[in-house]
Amino acid sequence: MERGILSPSDLQKPVNKILYAFMVLCIAVMAFTMLYPIAMTMFNGLKSNPEINTFPPKFFPTKWHWENFSKGWDYIPLLVYLKNTMFIFLGNLVMTIMVLGLASFSISRIRVPYSRAVYFFILLTLFIPATSYMIPNFVNLKELGLLNSYWAFWLPAGANAYFFLLMKNFFDGIHPEIFEAARIDGASELTSYLRIAIPLSIPIFATLSIFIFSTAWNDWFWPSLVMQTEDKYTLATAIYKYVINARNLDSSIKFSILFMVMVPPIFVFLAFQKFIVRSVSLTAVKG
Amino acid sequence: MEQSVISPGNRVKGPEKETQKLKRTSNWKKYMWGYLFLVPAIVIFIIFLWVPIIKGMVYSFYNIDFVKGNTFVGFDNYVKIFNNPDLWLSVKNTLYFMFLTLVMGFWVPIAAAIAISELKFFQGFARIAAYLPFVVPGVVLYGMWRWMYDPVGPINALLGWFGADPVSFISDGRFSMISIVFMETWQQFGSAMLIYLAGVLSIPRDWYEAAEIDGAGVWSRIKYITLPSMRSLIMLMLILQIIGTSQAYQSQLALLDGGPNKATLTYALFTVKNAFTQLDYGAGTALGVLMFVVLGILGIIQFKLNREEY
Repeated sequence: MERGILSPSDLQKPVNKILYAFMVLCIAVMAFTMLYPIAMTMFNGLKSNPEINTFPPKFFPTKWHWENFSKGWDYIPLLVYLKNTMFIFLGNLVMTIMVLGLASFSISRIRVPYSRAVYFFILLTLFIPATSYMIPNFVNLKELGLLNSYWAFWLPAGANAYFFLLMKNFFDGIHPEIFEAARIDGASELTSYLRIAIPLSIPIFATLSIFIFSTAWNDWFWPSLVMQTEDKYTLATAIYKYVINARNLDSSIKFSILFMVMVPPIFVFLAFQKFIVRSVSLTAVKG
Repeated sequence: MEQSVISPGNRVKGPEKETQKLKRTSNWKKYMWGYLFLVPAIVIFIIFLWVPIIKGMVYSFYNIDFVKGNTFVGFDNYVKIFNNPDLWLSVKNTLYFMFLTLVMGFWVPIAAAIAISELKFFQGFARIAAYLPFVVPGVVLYGMWRWMYDPVGPINALLGWFGADPVSFISDGRFSMISIVFMETWQQFGSAMLIYLAGVLSIPRDWYEAAEIDGAGVWSRIKYITLPSMRSLIMLMLILQIIGTSQAYQSQLALLDGGPNKATLTYALFTVKNAFTQLDYGAGTALGVLMFVVLGILGIIQFKLNREEY
């Protein structure tokens, strides 16, 4: 049997047995603590409004109010915000693949003269904390006249040194012979990027897509500054302004909306677990 | 044989120049695509990263007015923020927040990773449960935890079982920062846990075997094998956490707007409020420059640590 820190013979001792049981109990409590608020968001969305505020709180609703969800759906135009969010996500993804992907391909595979200099020019930005230039960044976008436009998200998406580094490292790992062969067959560099590098790099693009998706889905503060008219708000910004800060909204409707916003990322997580675990271990190498 | 008589200088000179010329044009042809691929990235990095970074330095000496135009004011912005008592309060709050995240949050993923790695059953389930809060969007998190912390919410119900009086976790200045740290630990420790778990599982099993034969107990195996093997990973995560928490403002802004009575006004939130509430972008940029100087030092330390790793 595969052993860990503990061996099977350790578990024969009563002291260790008790400690192990205590550890399992702690993990069980942890798992419950993790899942309880998520489950309650769902069940509160199905309760009647007075029932949410009863003390002590009940777990299951006594009566299931499915109509909360249709009320929540009609409370704000969620579809418009969803469309804006997906618009930003897709545009950022295209920019990442085309601008950062091409640049990292060039530095990794073509190795033009002075590519080291370009590499450090890009990488240096990793060490500058993002919050420290947040305000000049906003002023800059305003001076460029990009506020309230999707370009204020799409263009800066091409300036992500971290994603650049991830792609460059991935391209470094592809066998150069493949590209040599393509070159001999007369493929241009652009063709070998589009027809060889991209298909071979699906895993890293999947990981990047998840990163970009979660940023587009979760970011509420920056979009609330950049997007200034209601019809351009992202989902998170709209929820923050109209649901979290709402005064006269029933708690039951509030929770039903929060639940609807929470489901897609959870679904993405469960469907793409493999890539997410990879992306998590990549964050450790960040920098 | 005759050819060897001809002086080598004469023979080589002409053609070599030709090849050099040829080489240069073919070099350009060869690398043209390479340069073309780099141009968009370079342009975008300049316009959307380097220009704001440099503008940040420059604008900290200006009064920014989008209508009348910017005017040079020298060190006025710096004088103004240093004379604002909220600056020192926000630095103190940020240090307090960083301290709390270390005490309440930093050890949790390490302990959880070691514990979960020892699970014989349901290891996958425990992993998913720990990570799931990480995918909950921030705005949902705020709505969820406002209710959790409510005077008639579930945490107070739990305290009530033990006979404690209800606590208003968020609106009581003594607990507000602790409540935010607990909420953020709940959300974020899962991703750190997965990183540590990979570290724990990569330690060769026979080291434990050997230690056990030598008579090492369970605790000493953890203390002398597991933790030292993860030393550099733990250091890296520590630096990342310090860099991250020193810039925190979103939860403080969303849940409390820096209140109650400025108890959760962090440095970054102070910066944001200067710029976007008081519309004093000059002061906001000056605060950003100060943060850049302090965090730049940390960034260099992180880089050094990372280099050792890779």
